[in-house]
Amino acid sequence: MHMHDLQPSAPVTPGKEPFDAIVVGSGAAGGMAAFQLAQAGIKVLLLEAGRMLDPQKEYKTMEWPYKDLRRHRLPVGEFALQAAEYRTLDRPYGLTPEMQKYKKVMAYSGNHFTKDWIVNEKEHPITGTPYAWVRARVLGGKTNLWGRVSLRFSDLDLKAKSHDGFGEDWPISYADISPYYDTVDTLLGITGTKEGIPHLPDGLFQRPLKLNCGEVQVQRAIAKMGRKLIAGRAGVTTDGVLNNKYRARCMGRGRCGRGCDLNAAFHSPAALIFPARDTGNLVVRTDSVVSEVLVDDRTNKATGVRVIDKNTKEVMDFRGRIVILAASCLESTRLLLNSKSATRANGTANSSGVVGHYFCEHVMGPGASGILPSRVGTAPTNDDGRPQSTYIVRFRNVTDKHPDFIRGYGFQGASGAAEFPANAAETPGFGAAFKKTVRANYPARVNYGGFGEVLARKENRVFLDPEVKDAWGIPVLKFDYTFSDNEKKMAADMADTAEEMLRAAGATDIVVRRNILTEGWSIHEMGTARMGTDPKTSVTNSFGQTHDIRNLFVVDGSIFVSASCQNPTWMIMALCWRAMDYVKEQMRTGNL
Amino acid sequence: MNEMNDPGAGLSRRSLLKAVGTSVGTIAMLPVLSDEGVLAFEALQRTKAAPKLKALTPAQYATVDALTEAIIPTDAHSPGARAARVADYIDLLLSESDAALQAAWTSGLAALDAAAVAAHKVPFVKLQAAQVEALLTAISANEAQPTTPVEQFFRSAKDATIRGYYTSEIGIQQDLQYKGNQYLPEFVGCLTEDGKDCPHCGQKAQAKA
Repeated sequence: MHMHDLQPSAPVTPGKEPFDAIVVGSGAAGGMAAFQLAQAGIKVLLLEAGRMLDPQKEYKTMEWPYKDLRRHRLPVGEFALQAAEYRTLDRPYGLTPEMQKYKKVMAYSGNHFTKDWIVNEKEHPITGTPYAWVRARVLGGKTNLWGRVSLRFSDLDLKAKSHDGFGEDWPISYADISPYYDTVDTLLGITGTKEGIPHLPDGLFQRPLKLNCGEVQVQRAIAKMGRKLIAGRAGVTTDGVLNNKYRARCMGRGRCGRGCDLNAAFHSPAALIFPARDTGNLVVRTDSVVSEVLVDDRTNKATGVRVIDKNTKEVMDFRGRIVILAASCLESTRLLLNSKSATRANGTANSSGVVGHYFCEHVMGPGASGILPSRVGTAPTNDDGRPQSTYIVRFRNVTDKHPDFIRGYGFQGASGAAEFPANAAETPGFGAAFKKTVRANYPARVNYGGFGEVLARKENRVFLDPEVKDAWGIPVLKFDYTFSDNEKKMAADMADTAEEMLRAAGATDIVVRRNILTEGWSIHEMGTARMGTDPKTSVTNSFGQTHDIRNLFVVDGSIFVSASCQNPTWMIMALCWRAMDYVKEQMRTGNL
Repeated sequence: MNEMNDPGAGLSRRSLLKAVGTSVGTIAMLPVLSDEGVLAFEALQRTKAAPKLKALTPAQYATVDALTEAIIPTDAHSPGARAARVADYIDLLLSESDAALQAAWTSGLAALDAAAVAAHKVPFVKLQAAQVEALLTAISANEAQPTTPVEQFFRSAKDATIRGYYTSEIGIQQDLQYKGNQYLPEFVGCLTEDGKDCPHCGQKAQAKA
């Protein structure tokens, strides 16, 4: 399959403008924005800070560890930060004496497969409180390695303040976004089962992923506790999509996080950007580091963006009728903060002063693993071939009220065998007995880990570091972000309930994880340019249109009002599609 | 993973931290190979040649080889660590590790031999099978909380053996009989998912709630 003419003969330079729209970023949000507009005949310039990517070459989906003689370890000179480093190193992580011997220092998700996509902390420093900020600068961004869990938000999330009094309600309800979830489901493909759970709405699902024997056992055990374990909902087409020649359906091979070379898993390049380019209406410029949004302060309109070529460092301005920021939550926020003038001293679209505030995400780490005796010694089955396994639906603060914390959490997890036997390190002893036990328990391991809502609190924020700059001279983000008591109590409950459920399922050898992972571990940043109806307390309206500058839009996770405990990618794309319908209509009627 | 799971002697806090790893369950915190090392390793594996040692002395190599095979031996089901050439893997990885970790392995191997001599008057490689069993039973007794140098070395060597063996073709295909990483049009789950009684687990079909 030929992907595309991936290398344009020469990168576009200023002069072909103005484009109708400039989109900054090529991940879930940028890909969706570019796709929607290009399909509608709108001329789009898509700017990606990283390089072009050829999925057929770079997605090493089926590579065995023994075919790579490093056994998939990183090469000498490259290092991925681990939990220990995040806890002990000063920031910027990559510039500390301990990291001097490495040429490249990456966030924890850097590995054999992702190392050429994840940024080098030496070039991309951050300061302030500890934060594991995973950034992928390459066409498609983090969608090349994302976890694929695709869960809808419900009114329990969108109207959370009405439910428990904390924070703000979203300016939209589920009825507003549900049609867009439907169209995202249809365009991209999603697997799941209809469950009729009000606070985890069903989608238009393709062929579901079945539970294996161990998971059915857990499902039935926790059903007695009133809790629901359901088949994983993943942004993966299990039946195929008819609208996209670059994608094929899931073939159960697993290893989706390396990039799926069938593109059954949603990855922005094949799912959105290549088809958008095929319309003839999209120009992609990679290696384009956007440093600021250009604004005409007399007309109060965005005129374009300033680009620093990643490789030559040449500075150039591109002009467009509208500017759409989709650079990821924190990068779009950084861009707004760095776009200053005399009249916009604290950044663009920031008359409210809330840009960078209300930073929220998901807290993770707590969970439990164990061995299901009923599965010990059984023949291994293909369990890690599924693009997602199972999900335990939020059960806290739905109809009841927990005494210790508000909001809730869900669990992702599975039973069964994966390529590497995670149970081996947990098996004591040595010799024939050890080997036999590892083998016997291999199909019997069960493991669940929680994802909990971090409250969107004003004091959790990012801002521009007054001194430290990245390799392109752009001020870096400084973090002032910590988990609150609510998250800590929720995390403690996550560990307790994980243990309780595995016990109920009859698991033995239970290992309970109580530690909270470093801030940022979930890679679900949200909230730093939140939407709302009041320009004094929010940055955009519900279409991502900034209150201050009507032709400037933000369409990534930054516009979320609260984090919920559901994974954000599908919501980002549903919101973005809704925003682009608004943009199209506004352009058609001459309002933009 | 416990911080004490690596040989403590001569290790800086930095190395220890590196060795601790993360909650995502990585183990055997050995360093990584250069391209040159990878090619050398590949040639060894392909030709089944005698190892061209890079970090270990021949005597140390023999001890590592014997120890890894003692941890994951050949049994009726599948070949063990020796056949999977786990000792080669460890040698080549150690060859590119920092001096502190190399020193830790050197002293760890010496401690293992010292324990063998103390118990049975011969170095580790000369032990009879029953003696290996007795010695490793003693030094693995505290493997969850190892304290002495030889206990710490055992934990480290075990982690490296697990990593090397279960990423090998023998480990994945012959021992674990892993079923994934192939084209499968449909995932076969518990048959109760298809509304049947499952012959694999004995669970009965039930109406979906």
